[in-house]
Order: sequence, then structure tokens, then C-alpha cells
Amino acid sequence: MTVQLDDVSVHFGRTLALEGLSLTVAAGETVALLGPSGSGKSTALKAVAGFVRPSSGRIRLAGQDVTDLPPAKRGIGVVVQQYALFPHLRVSDNVAFGLRAARTPKGEVTRRVAEMLEMVGMTSFAKRFPRELSGGQQQRVAIARALAIQPKVLLLDEPLAALDAQLRADMLGELQKLRREVPDVAIVYVTHDQSEALALADRIAVMRDARLVDIAPAAQLYATPPSAFTASFLGGANLLPVETFGDGVKVAGHVLPGVRATPGKELLCIRPHAIRLGDAGVPVRVIATQWRGSSNQLTCTVDGLPEVSVRIDLPADLQVPALGAQVSMVLPAEACSLVPAERR
Amino acid sequence: MLVWTKPGKALTWTAFALVFGVLVLAPFIVVIAAAFAGTWNGVLPSNPTVGHLQEALSGDELASLSVSLQTAFLGGLLAVVVGTWGALAAHGAPGPVARVADALHHLPIAVPSVVVGLGLLVAFSRQPILLNGTKWIVVIAHLVLMVAFSYGTVAAALQRVDPSYADVAASLGASPARVLWQVRLPMLRPAIASAAGLSVALSMGEVGATIMVYPASWRTVPVSIFALSDRGQTFTAAAEALVLLTATVLVVFTLDRLRGRAVEQ
Ligand SMILES: Nc1ncnc2c1ncn2[C@@H]1O[C@H](COP(=O)(O)OP(=O)(O)OP(=O)(O)O)[C@@H](O)[C@H]1O
Ligand SMILES: [Mg+2]
Repeated sequence: MTVQLDDVSVHFGRTLALEGLSLTVAAGETVALLGPSGSGKSTALKAVAGFVRPSSGRIRLAGQDVTDLPPAKRGIGVVVQQYALFPHLRVSDNVAFGLRAARTPKGEVTRRVAEMLEMVGMTSFAKRFPRELSGGQQQRVAIARALAIQPKVLLLDEPLAALDAQLRADMLGELQKLRREVPDVAIVYVTHDQSEALALADRIAVMRDARLVDIAPAAQLYATPPSAFTASFLGGANLLPVETFGDGVKVAGHVLPGVRATPGKELLCIRPHAIRLGDAGVPVRVIATQWRGSSNQLTCTVDGLPEVSVRIDLPADLQVPALGAQVSMVLPAEACSLVPAERR
Repeated sequence: MLVWTKPGKALTWTAFALVFGVLVLAPFIVVIAAAFAGTWNGVLPSNPTVGHLQEALSGDELASLSVSLQTAFLGGLLAVVVGTWGALAAHGAPGPVARVADALHHLPIAVPSVVVGLGLLVAFSRQPILLNGTKWIVVIAHLVLMVAFSYGTVAAALQRVDPSYADVAASLGASPARVLWQVRLPMLRPAIASAAGLSVALSMGEVGATIMVYPASWRTVPVSIFALSDRGQTFTAAAEALVLLTATVLVVFTLDRLRGRAVEQ
């Protein structure tokens, strides 16, 4: 089922929480809404679920306008950030809730609840109360409850945010597996964590200040970000002002061979791990180093560009320059892209 | 407490014991002593007797206890229903409406109970609603006073419940009635139970409004105590007070047990 938002705005009193969002999520597609806190991600999700009413715009499911339909009539599976498992109901009754609301025959309810708990690996916890479960287990139950009604659309609001780092990595794998179990469901996945978005999403929609900034396939958005905000939010790219001369570009007065100037794009975007230290590059000075296990991250200032600092990830097996050392950074042309400067 | 030295601790405990003992415990002890006193002329009562207690548990006085219990359960529990309903309605209403509802529900606490009683007496002593002289005017007085407490307790609990529970229930296909009965009310059960305990306990002790409206046929225990003490029968009044105290403690304790069970579920 296709989810379609058409110029949807949401106001909370005077606050504009979502401004003119247009977005289509196809059946079987996962779209991540990625953005910093307060950027309107949850609001977008709530509008699709019917929890908040758009002040303008339309929402369609499979082409049918559902803007004025209450949540109960939309048939959408929703997992909210704190899971909202009903505390007075056992795990199995939580999962059965939607089936019973639909007056599903008893035997069918039992069968389907067992199937769902099996799918998320929670069969042995069926008789427990939510408060007797860990965060990760609660999350699985919330997903089982949402999928029990066999929705054609699944909305997930920061499902991993409440978990610790190790568990988050495990659950990420489980979500990928789950994705394959429901191949034709349209999934909207809200997160402020770029690695979740990159791991799960077919397309990523980057949000900022209630607005959609960019939307594109994950790989494309990462490799050639269309805007400075997306470049730095997704993968923490370095942004360096460039000067153009004819067809070529210079950074701090140094020519970058192989990079072609594009009118209106005045910032060079390059990932920290793509920068190498070598000869004949742009001279920089190391002001901080940080060991990250698999790499060392250097923070450097660029001679001639006092207002920017550059982060460089050095593979751990390379010698780390001393603090204050002058080194030369090489910016390989294939790793560089140009984006327009921020005008705000 | 932020006192760490031994003498400091001893001093604070002594001060606490004195204040608590004199202001809180002493009246109880004196009432209990008086309930069993044959005479009380010196510092201590003398000629212990259970006669007053027998009096307090017979005839009119026993009828008072039954009246008090009935009033408390009827008025108190109706108040919980009305208060819960009001709190739920106000919670879902737009801002200004909710604020007006809030203020209205708290009015009976802000206004002296005697005034509430007088108002009811004047209002229900004439057509179209003639309730004066029936037990219903007493029940209504208690209902009006206790609604404020029930409303306050449930409204405070509602503030703390994350709206996403109801949202998620609705998204799973539940009708508004189903969401109310199977999600919202069960989640409020501890608050509703404590509102019930509070209402019944307060109703058992209510005297200000009751004394304005009660008919001779429907006299609550506190009114009896007041009347007895007014007639100079202090020891019988004390015995009656002891009965009231015991009954209230028992009722509240039982309701609290129910509440404990509700929380456990
Ligand atoms: N119920 C509400 N009442 C008033 N303002 C709200 C409400 N919900 C959200 N907002 C405001 O709307 C804006 C967007 O909120 P939203 O919850 O969509 O952000 P988000 O991107 O999900 O952030 P987070 O990552 O912190 O969850 C914020 O400025 C927030 O303060
Ligand atoms: Mg959010």
C-alpha cells in the first residue's frame, strides 16, 4: 500500500511542527525520516497514523484520502518511541489487542498471537507483564502487537532510541530480518541516528526545522549529498569553502585536480575517512587527536581558512602525527562533491 | 533529614515526638480514655465502664452508623464516577473549556462546606426539586463535596498518563469506547481506587454541610457526636467518636487493600 503525503502541515497552537511535507512511500519500501530533535519527524508519523490532524494538506493510503479518517479506520501498525505497551495486560493480551478489537474469532487470535510472538522470539514471555521485560523485549512485543493486525503500513518512531549501544546493534539486525518477513509493507522509520537510517532505509528523507531538506536513495544521499546540512548530518562530512577558477576549484589556494567547478555550489564536501595524508595536498595543522579503536580521528585547522576545522579519520595502523604538527591532506577527486553554501 | 550528629538527631526526634504527640496523638488518646470513663474529675479518668460504648452501639446511635456508611458509599462512590467522568471529559476538551471545568470542580473545596449545605438547602426546599427532608439531600451534599477530591485525584493521574497509549490502542482498530474501557480506565485504576478511599473517608467525617441539610430520619455519626456533645453527654460522644474512628479506619483499610490489588494487576 502506498503512503502519500501531499503538502502536509501540522500546527500545535502557534508552533509549526511540520511544514508542507510531501512524501511518497511505496509498498515494500522503507523510508527513513532522519533529522535532529524537534525537526518534526514524530509529527509527520503522527499525521500519517491519524494521531494529529494536519492543518493543511492531504494524506492518502493506496490512493484513498484518509486525512479525515480516525486512526482506528486506517489499519496502520504503529510502534511509538516508548513502546506504550499496555501495562495492565500480559504480553499475549497486548499482542491480541488489535485482533480482539476487530472481533477476530478466538482460535484465530490464539494462532496469530503465537505466530507473532514466534516471529519476534518472545514465545516464552507470553504470560509476562510489560514491566517484567527488558527494553529490547518490550520493543519486540510492540512490533509484534503492531504487526498482528497485518497492516500494510508500519510506522516506527525511534524504535531503538531507548536501548543501549550493544542491544541497538543486535536489534538493527533483527529489524533487517523482520523487513524480509513482511516484504510488501510500506515502512516509515523515524530516527535521529544516521547509521540506523543507512542500514535500514531504501530512501532517506532528511528533515530540519519542520521541513523536508532532501530525499534520495540512501547510497546516493551519502555519496553525493545535495545540501550542506545533509552532508554534515548524514555521515558528518567536512565542508570546505572553495574558490573557482575557470573549470577547476581551489581550497585555501590549492588546486584540487579532477574536481570540476559547478556554478552555485561553493562548498566542498568530503567524508573524514576519505581524506588521506600525503604529499602535495592542502597544508593543515593538527590540533586534536582522538583514538577510536579502528581509527584515529584528527581535528585540523586549515592554513588560510581560519573559520573551518577538518576532521580526518586515519586507519589505526598509520602513524599519528604529533599535536601541532603540520601535515598535508590529500582530497581524492572521486570522494569530493560540491554543495551549495547554507543561506539561512 | 539533614542532621548528622547524634545529639542533633536526638533533639530533632524529641521535637518531632513532642509536636506529634501533643497535636496528633493526644486528642485520640483522650477520646479513647473518655469513651471508657465513668467519671473524669481529676487528671485521669476513673470508674472505667463500657456503658457509653454500649449506648453508642444501640438504638439511634447505631442507626447513625448505618446512615453514615450508606451515605459515604453512595455519595462517595457516585462522586468517584462523576469526578472520573468530569476529569476525562475535561482532559479531552479544548483549553478554555478544560480550565472552566477545572475551576468549577474545585469550587466545592474553595467554598466553606456550611455554605454549600445552605445553598443546597435553599435550592432543594422548593419546586421543582423538593428534596429537603429526604436522605437524598444529604447524599447530594456529600456527592458535591467529594466530587472535587475525586476529580482532582483522577485529573492529576491523567496528566501523567502518556497519550500514546490511547493513540496506539486506536491505531490497532479499537473504538473510542473500547479504548476507554480497556486502556484508559484500567490505567487509571490506582487513581480511581485512591479517589474512592479518599471520598469515603472524607464523607464519613463530613459535618459542615450535613448539619445544614440533614433530616431527623437521616442523621450521620458526626452529626450525632455534635448533638451529644452539645447536650453535655461528652463521654457518650467520645464513645460514638471511637466507633466512627474504628469504622472509618476499617473502611479505608479495606478500600486500600482493593487498591493494592488493582495496582498489582
Ligand atoms: N503536542 C505538542 N504540543 C506542542 N508542540 C509540540 C507537540 N508535539 C510536538 N511539538 C513541537 O513540534 C516540533 C516537532 O516535534 P516532533 O516531536 O515532531 O520532533 P521530532 O523530530 O520527533 O524530535 P525528537 O527527535 O526529539 O523526537 C517541536 O518543536 C515540538 O516542540
Ligand atoms: Mg520524536
